[in-house]
Amino acid sequence: MSVIVTPPWRRTVELVWHGGCFAFRNPGRVMSFRPFTSESYAQDERPEAWRDVLNAAGLQPAAKSSFYDGHATASHRNAPGVAVSRLAAGAQVVAPLPHAHEDLPIALLVTEDGAVLKSTEGHRIVPAGHLVLLPRGGDCSIGFQRDLRAIALSVTSDALHGRMIGKLEFTRPHVIPPNGLAEIFCGTLAATARSLESLSDAEWSTVAQSLVDLLLTLAHQQAASVKDACNSATQAATLHRICQTIERRLDDAELTPARIAQAEGISERYLQKLFEGAGDNFSHYVRERRLQRALADLSNPTEAHHSISEIAYRCGFADSAHFSRSFRQRFGLSPREFRQQQAERTSAAAAPRGQRGWPHQALAQLRAHQVAPAKGQTMLPAQTNDLAAAQQRHHLAVSADRVHWGYFSRSLPPQCEIASGDTITIETLTQHASDDPERMISGDAGAESVFGWTSTKKNVDRRGAGPMDASVFGRGAGEGFGVHICTGPVAVKDAQPGDVLEVRILDIVPRPSRSADYAGRVFGSGVAAWWGYHYNELLAGPNPREAVTIYEIFADDAEPHARALYSYRWEPQTDPFGVVHATYDYPGVPVSPGSVKRRHGVLDHVRIPLRPHFGVIAVAPRELDFVDSIPPSYFGGNLDNWRLGKGSAVYLPVAVPGALLSVGDPHATQGDGELSGTAIECSMTGTFQVILHKKGQLAGKPFADLTYPLIETATDWVLTGFSHPNYLAEFGAQGQSEVYATSSLDLAMKDAFRKMRRFLMHVKGLSEDEAVALMSAAVDFGVTQVVDGNWGVHAILSKRLFEDVS
Amino acid sequence: MRHHLLPVSPKTVHWGYFSKVVAPALTLRSGDRATIETLTHHANDDYERMIKDDPGAESVFAWTREHKALARRGAGPTQGPFIRGSGEGLGVHLLTGPVAIEGAEPGDVLEVRILDIRPRPSQCGCHAGKCFGSNVAANWGFHYHDLIEEPKPREVITIFELDTSGEPYAKAVYNYVWTPQTDPDGIVHATIDYPGVRVDHTTITKRENILADIRVPARLHFGTMGLAPSEADFVSSIPPGYSGGNIDDWRIGKGARMYYPVAVPGAYFSVGDPHAAQGDSELGGTAIETSLTGDFEFILHKKNDLGGTPLEGLTHPLLETAQAWSVYGFTYPNYLAELGANAQTEIANHSSLDRAMRDAFRKLRRFLMTVQRLSEDEAISLMSVGADFGVTQVVDANWGVHGTIRKSVFRCE
Repeated sequence: MSVIVTPPWRRTVELVWHGGCFAFRNPGRVMSFRPFTSESYAQDERPEAWRDVLNAAGLQPAAKSSFYDGHATASHRNAPGVAVSRLAAGAQVVAPLPHAHEDLPIALLVTEDGAVLKSTEGHRIVPAGHLVLLPRGGDCSIGFQRDLRAIALSVTSDALHGRMIGKLEFTRPHVIPPNGLAEIFCGTLAATARSLESLSDAEWSTVAQSLVDLLLTLAHQQAASVKDACNSATQAATLHRICQTIERRLDDAELTPARIAQAEGISERYLQKLFEGAGDNFSHYVRERRLQRALADLSNPTEAHHSISEIAYRCGFADSAHFSRSFRQRFGLSPREFRQQQAERTSAAAAPRGQRGWPHQALAQLRAHQVAPAKGQTMLPAQTNDLAAAQQRHHLAVSADRVHWGYFSRSLPPQCEIASGDTITIETLTQHASDDPERMISGDAGAESVFGWTSTKKNVDRRGAGPMDASVFGRGAGEGFGVHICTGPVAVKDAQPGDVLEVRILDIVPRPSRSADYAGRVFGSGVAAWWGYHYNELLAGPNPREAVTIYEIFADDAEPHARALYSYRWEPQTDPFGVVHATYDYPGVPVSPGSVKRRHGVLDHVRIPLRPHFGVIAVAPRELDFVDSIPPSYFGGNLDNWRLGKGSAVYLPVAVPGALLSVGDPHATQGDGELSGTAIECSMTGTFQVILHKKGQLAGKPFADLTYPLIETATDWVLTGFSHPNYLAEFGAQGQSEVYATSSLDLAMKDAFRKMRRFLMHVKGLSEDEAVALMSAAVDFGVTQVVDGNWGVHAILSKRLFEDVS
Repeated sequence: MRHHLLPVSPKTVHWGYFSKVVAPALTLRSGDRATIETLTHHANDDYERMIKDDPGAESVFAWTREHKALARRGAGPTQGPFIRGSGEGLGVHLLTGPVAIEGAEPGDVLEVRILDIRPRPSQCGCHAGKCFGSNVAANWGFHYHDLIEEPKPREVITIFELDTSGEPYAKAVYNYVWTPQTDPDGIVHATIDYPGVRVDHTTITKRENILADIRVPARLHFGTMGLAPSEADFVSSIPPGYSGGNIDDWRIGKGARMYYPVAVPGAYFSVGDPHAAQGDSELGGTAIETSLTGDFEFILHKKNDLGGTPLEGLTHPLLETAQAWSVYGFTYPNYLAELGANAQTEIANHSSLDRAMRDAFRKLRRFLMTVQRLSEDEAISLMSVGADFGVTQVVDANWGVHGTIRKSVFRCE
């Protein structure tokens, strides 16, 4: 009898490349779910992609069988040493992937249609609902004659964390009908497979561990049940049972061989013999298990509220000094150091893979320490640059003191005050100018002022709505919870909550480069970023990756367009304060040309027609002092709708006195969806006419009863639907985190439908039945964006419908 | 090249399903053209305007206690007792065809060009020469469980007239709330649950002067066009899938070219569900459903000739218009294969735009990488800045999001 030896402790964050997908092997809080569909692949790439899916499940195409290249889908989730895969594909034959050092069989639950098991013992029918345990070394295969529909569970020794399992004599496959323990196992496995995507990380890790325990017991039971099972199989089953008892009683500091033997009904001597036969001894094994359990708990974020001595006590260490010594001896560092290291890794790993904005926990802490905001904010007197030149024309140049970066705020002092009917020219900068500072910043006094950042001075320190001390992630002041450079705010005279602010876009002109080499030319940047829709399912390696494409803009061409100049993959960038940004997690970090590899000849022969617009047009929200600029909402903000271009207008419900209008996030062009996370981001200057509609005078206007941003173009009304129309009100204090966690087009579609119905009924005077008929026959619903947390669906109503019938 | 004529009759239509086992109504060769009549399955919402005195329509809709010209309507059971009727209304569209293409084999691609579309005028008395359609805010509509006015819930039919004298547009004539209708076999239809049941106009209250002064610009197109799938003998016509079907995209109109992967020998093309106009999402459950006649050209692309063409490895429907390419994402790209034995009913429980968007993204990425030969990084950047994603429909069980890329983007220099 031999024993599976504990692998040396490995808990480094390691990227495992699975041809097309990747997974973090860190058992932290990293989402480990992977969807697969053959639709992503061209025909000739499918066999390889499908083989990778099978391999992840511990399987492979059977030798001599032809490669499968038909339609296939799968979902897969893994934890260290555990992988559950739900497979659906056409007829094929699969076999276990040989693995010399693994003893636990692959569990394959055949869910539909049945299959045929081929082994050295001949053929056997496997009816649907039966479980097959496939030895990893054996010469066997399983053929699905109609369709492959199965759930696979693969458990390797990584999952055991040093737990001993007796040597399993598992050399031939077993087909098990769903009775008794097998029924419970199959039920659990099937239920798990259905919920793979929705289980939280903590839930998943518990479920995965239960599956491991069930499989261990089942496998031992089967091995021992074989008629000619040798004595050793029975011994192994007994040892396995003893080890399980030990697992349950690790918290008992008084765990002795005598008590365990008594509980098992065997002699203490026989118990010691069983352990000796496995190359171990009882007290060493128990100590190892206690330490491993402590290690697991110390790295588990959901255990963070327990002190180290509590955890030590729970693992059967009565004396915490003794625990610390043993722990250091075993793992090379103290429990405290280990816990600290794990916490850092978890947050570092979770951040870029997780959601944007505030993490839930940080927001909860913030609430606990929040001080009531100062009341009676004094407004600065109006500063109007060109007041003398023309009474009603204003100009707001861009500079460090005229922008706020990454947030909206009701308490910012206005840059100037204008009256209803005035026009104002506002210069805006793209926060992506730093992707190529030479082309988009140098020589431009305004841009240099805003982006100015040396080791001793950062002209615009706060970037985002996060804490100024960067205590959440350490990215920098504001934590990049919000990224857009917004020029303003501009106060509108007499504006009060309940009024509607009409912002007409009279003109948009790009901001040419001022650098010596490129003066007069216009550039922009598009980033395929970690918050992009594509990020979790890139096909080719390296995986994941962020890619930046620099474009040149030809705005004066007969057909204005953009062309790609070059692209590069994001490499860790060290900002002037010394913080390393492994991903694009903080705006305005200058990318030094030497740190990245520029690739030319990208998007050759591709010309992208321009659709100049401002991604962000906002009034200040009423709910909070600092609001992340990324999720759009009732106050406007990051609408990212290209229809908001020259000649259009947006109506915004005023939420705070003075309205406090801000503009930013200039885009040269964008597609519906903004799939990769950004548009072609390009600094531009807009001229706006601002008209205030007082609350009392709204009746009968298209924007009466307005609770959302309403866009009007020459030809259409465009209504903006969001996953959460007012996420700040809906989720309260949780809003700035929750909005990212619950993104959904289905919700946004519902919102767009309701808004359009209301518009047709209240503005156009239709009955509900008329409104629904018209929406079905003539209103176009489209995807605005799937990257701003609060996802958007817009509804377009053509004005032509209502043109006078004469 | 030959030009065929396929009029509607009980022999040339099948109702509510795609099928690889129905005898072809017409067999033609690659390169041939055909004029194909189609009828809207909503014509009985106003029998007088849309069926009466039209021999083709009369023959298809004929249904008395003794004689039901087309008994099977849907992919459901054809042996009683019935809850709703033969075929159980599991699929509703009147489809003309199938048209078999000589030599078509699985793995080939069928290109269908729509050369022209014309409305089918009424032939009845004072309505003769005018064209009518019906829009139904139905129980499968997106709005149905979210109504605000009483009575709740309700289904509402709006009859439109199509004016083609100038720039074509549709104008509402009247509407009414659905009342329980008893079919000739005695089954009472409390809701719209079975196609082709004649609405007894003495049981309804017509409301006129609705949608006053509103003109809906016409977008003549076929909501349902596609090939027979291989997975089952009778496949509900409602959920669209890999071989086309009820895609409900108004861009599939005159001048459009659709490409479908052939799944069964002969391809078995069918067309129906004619629409006078529809918005992206088809929110209430139907478009303005209007009988139309189309001129089509069929081109078969053999599997071995696809290498290096935009059609290589095509596993889903693809639209080409003068301006753009579109791919269609669905909640389940191949629901018949993915959802197993009960796929045809199960699909309605899984409708989701979020999944359809995911599928559209994957299909467009593949199109850009394989057809336009872009790298993955190029494809993703271009999708973000140059491609538009829209909601095709949220009412056909297998919901749709389309991804569109303009051809002008690829103009070479």
